[in-house]
Amino acid sequence: MSMLQIWLVQALFIFLTTGSMGQLLDPCGHINPESPVVHLGSNFTAVCVLKEDCMDYFHVNANFIVWKMSHFTIPKEQYTIINKTAASVTLTDVASLNIQLTCNILTFGQIEQNIYGITLISGLPPEKPKNLNCIVNEGRKMMCYWDPGRETYLETNFTLKSEWATEKFADCKTKRDTPTSCTVDYSPVYFVNMEVWVEAENALGKVTSDHINFDPVDKVKPNAPHNLSVSNSEELSSILKLTWINSNIKNVIRLKYDIQYRTKGASAWSQIPPEDTASTRSSFTVQDLKPFTEYVFRIRCMKEDGKGFWSDWSEEASGITYEDRPSKAPSFWYKIDPSHTHGYRSVQLMWKTLPPFEANGKILGYEVTLTRWKSRLQNYTVNDSKLTVNLTNDRYIATLTARNAVGRSAASVLTIPACDFQGYLAESTCYLITVTPVYADGPGSPESIKAYLKQAPPSKGPTVRTKKVGKNEAVLEWDQLPVDVQNGFIRNYTIFYRTNIGNETAVNVDSSHTEYTLSSLTSDTLYMVRMAAYTDEGGKDGPEFTFTTPKFAQGEIEAIVVPVCLAFLLTTLLGVLFCFNKRDLIKKHIWPNVPDPSKSHIAQWSPHTPPRHNFNSKDQMYSDGNFTDVSVVEIEANDKKPFPEDLKSLELFKKEKVSTEGHSSGIGGSSCMSSSRPSISSSDENESAQNTSSTVQYSTVVHSGYRHQVPSVQVFSRSESTQPLLDSEERPEDLQLVDNVDGSDGILPRQQYFKQNCSQHETSPDISHFERSNQVSSVNEEDFIRLKQQQISGISQSCGSGQMKMFQEVSAADAFGPGTEGQGERFKTAEMEAVLDEGMPKSYLPQTVRQGGYMPQ
Amino acid sequence: LDENGDSWGMLACLCTVLWHLPAVPALNRTGDPGPGPSIQKTYDLTRYLEHQLRSLAGTYLNYLGPPFNEPDFNPPRLGADTLPRATVNLEVWRSLNDKLRLTQNYEAYSHLLCYLRGLNRQAATAELRRSLAHFCTSLQGLLGSIAGVMATLGYPLPQPLPGTEPTWTPGPAHSDFLQKMDDFWLLKELQTWLWRSAKDFNRLKKKMQPPAAAVTLHLEAHGF
Repeated sequence: MSMLQIWLVQALFIFLTTGSMGQLLDPCGHINPESPVVHLGSNFTAVCVLKEDCMDYFHVNANFIVWKMSHFTIPKEQYTIINKTAASVTLTDVASLNIQLTCNILTFGQIEQNIYGITLISGLPPEKPKNLNCIVNEGRKMMCYWDPGRETYLETNFTLKSEWATEKFADCKTKRDTPTSCTVDYSPVYFVNMEVWVEAENALGKVTSDHINFDPVDKVKPNAPHNLSVSNSEELSSILKLTWINSNIKNVIRLKYDIQYRTKGASAWSQIPPEDTASTRSSFTVQDLKPFTEYVFRIRCMKEDGKGFWSDWSEEASGITYEDRPSKAPSFWYKIDPSHTHGYRSVQLMWKTLPPFEANGKILGYEVTLTRWKSRLQNYTVNDSKLTVNLTNDRYIATLTARNAVGRSAASVLTIPACDFQGYLAESTCYLITVTPVYADGPGSPESIKAYLKQAPPSKGPTVRTKKVGKNEAVLEWDQLPVDVQNGFIRNYTIFYRTNIGNETAVNVDSSHTEYTLSSLTSDTLYMVRMAAYTDEGGKDGPEFTFTTPKFAQGEIEAIVVPVCLAFLLTTLLGVLFCFNKRDLIKKHIWPNVPDPSKSHIAQWSPHTPPRHNFNSKDQMYSDGNFTDVSVVEIEANDKKPFPEDLKSLELFKKEKVSTEGHSSGIGGSSCMSSSRPSISSSDENESAQNTSSTVQYSTVVHSGYRHQVPSVQVFSRSESTQPLLDSEERPEDLQLVDNVDGSDGILPRQQYFKQNCSQHETSPDISHFERSNQVSSVNEEDFIRLKQQQISGISQSCGSGQMKMFQEVSAADAFGPGTEGQGERFKTAEMEAVLDEGMPKSYLPQTVRQGGYMPQ
Repeated sequence: LDENGDSWGMLACLCTVLWHLPAVPALNRTGDPGPGPSIQKTYDLTRYLEHQLRSLAGTYLNYLGPPFNEPDFNPPRLGADTLPRATVNLEVWRSLNDKLRLTQNYEAYSHLLCYLRGLNRQAATAELRRSLAHFCTSLQGLLGSIAGVMATLGYPLPQPLPGTEPTWTPGPAHSDFLQKMDDFWLLKELQTWLWRSAKDFNRLKKKMQPPAAAVTLHLEAHGF
């Protein structure tokens, strides 16, 4: 029973609710589309479809349809009958935002029956959002804002999208009340660029703004500096020091500041020049302020490079500059009480208190002094602004100064005339007439004027002289005439100048000048110049002055000489440069390279060495392209060679050889073409050169002094042996020894040998060199070469003759062992070139015999 | 005559070189900016993260409680072997090439980020979780930055080997104290890595600066 009741209630409820919603009413037709949104200004077509049963019931068809728009009937012309049940209406240029459109039928001829109604909403699609920008308030989340464009009249959603190159962030949807900005949900990460854009969407469309890419640190708005305080300085009354605490962002970015100040009560702010505050700081001293004045300051900051936003202004802080002494004393006046007793008079001095901008502090008192003619001073200290004194009838001079905590002002002076003062004025004398207004509360500021009773011409003319004399001009100067000779107001000056023969020229000069420049003068000429001063009553000439203009202007000679020197220098430099560039060519033509036998040595290479490292392309020039580095040098000590009788014949021989050798004696060329076999005959030489040019590069020659002289060193190393081996025959036994050493390939015996022949201090560093070169065996080649060069340069200084040292270098290179044989060989090559580059003999010049062999001049 | 012509030619060349010298570096800069700016940015980011971590670590160690928040607490490195080590021999560090240097940084932060996310999950207070989350995001940004620099220089990103992907597991075997020890070491290693990365990127930055001297030399060589 109760179940039935519940069912009935439920059924009734359902019936009622659905009935109230119109579902059960079952309209006679419907309009399509149901809830349209149209573009404002476009055309819109709706179709009304009638139901068959309704048509039968009311006896109507589509022809009976009447369209109404907001209770007004739409004209029949806009209707289109589609078929028996459907008719459409077309609205052109929809202008209203909200239109109620109903479909009605005329029943029984007259009665309008509503069938269906729709609401037509019109609007615009969203415009592309513009001016998208973001701001990061320090310590808060990032907020972006944009310009949404025109009104759409529709509900439009904006979505802010953001991403990194590697990651997307959550969308930010705008709130209804702030459709033009959105605050993202995350704290931005500084120093990582992000891309941000905004999408606008409504029923009519969807558009995306331009993407912006930025580093959030460039969008920061820092928190304002806080705890701004102002302190003054006792030393300087014109400065105030500001201190503040920066926001935490100073740990991340550098800041710049904007500081403004104004005097208390003023409305306009003054600005500290931005360039003075363009870096992170926490204090600043403001200068050029007025003393004892209260100033108000405020400060803001932003990222140093100007990217981002200024912070808000800090709270204002104020401070007072320290006192300064009063800038002037008050002007003052006197009043004489006429009822004076015999011999005395009562004089009242009075003045106004100083205004604050002149007082520069709190005035603590005034000091008055009164001086009678040639009498002692009387001092008074007054706090008031007036003073009454009893004076004799004489003339007095009164001074007044104001005093504050820092100091006292300059004094203002007033003359109190004697009782029986009577004016007598002379002619041609300058008088200063001062008028001081006296008000009820004190005197005003006095005004003065100079005046003459009657003027006269000056009693003396001005003395002119030259300040500077140039080639075509002269600067004249003179002193103002003293007051007692002026006899009137000087109105102008006239300068007369002439040459010995020429006409006199006059120039008028205003009286305010004390200098004048005569131009277009002739150089190297004597000029005579004098000057007259004029008052209203006439003028007076001064003494004549002569000067001579110089022949040349100052700096003219220098202007000629310096460029000439420079041009000469430049030409020389270019010449040197050119010669340097073409030095090989020049050298080849003028002084072909002839090796110095004293710098020769013999080296030995084993076969199977890798191609020689190409340090100098000139080597290639002479190498015929196919030479190998492999050479075995054998020197026979007993080789019988013809030998020149003396030096002259030797030189003759050399020249001969050069001429026969021809162009093969270049730097590298000789080293490539050199023969290992010591030979003096040029034909022999040529032959041997041909024979060995592809195999032999260096040879080591040993000698033991030239002729009967005893050389300090017996070993010569040389690389370019196109020369006869001078000493090899003199002491065959030495050669023999070295030959043996060569053959034995040992290092120690050689050193032993050199120790015997060289002084001690030379040997010990050698060994250290040797050790060093072993150590650096892993270092790259260039380093090694550098080391070698250093050694070599050191050698030539330390050892009387460096030959032996070089020999040791070879042995050092040998010491790399069989494994590094090729490397060692390369080092030797480099070494030889280093020898050449170090300025070892490259030229063939007359030589003289010295102890130890031949030395280049 | 020939010599004169040559001299004037050389003079003209010299003048041209001198004239163009100030313009050359500027021209270089207006073109492709190269990896310089992105390296600078990455360097700034490491400095910023280091600063951020300093306050975060303070908070987190306080949350862990004593003895972890004591300033002289320096426990032995136990059980933290899975963490990438930042400390390296100075000579080895100097001899690293750019690619290896960047790769090491990238790999280290990939791992550290994973561990850090684990830390985030177990943090107790909302404030701490927020700081950790932001730090994780920033670290993610650093990874992206390093990847960007590597891409600019044409280096491939290191591919994580399958199976070696570090995952944070709330190990039941770990005692609470050992767990805290791991957290401590994670933060410490992270700090060391950030120090090292600052040095790494400073070195790269200096290396990538446009070699103005080389340009001069090249021009002079051309002049002759």
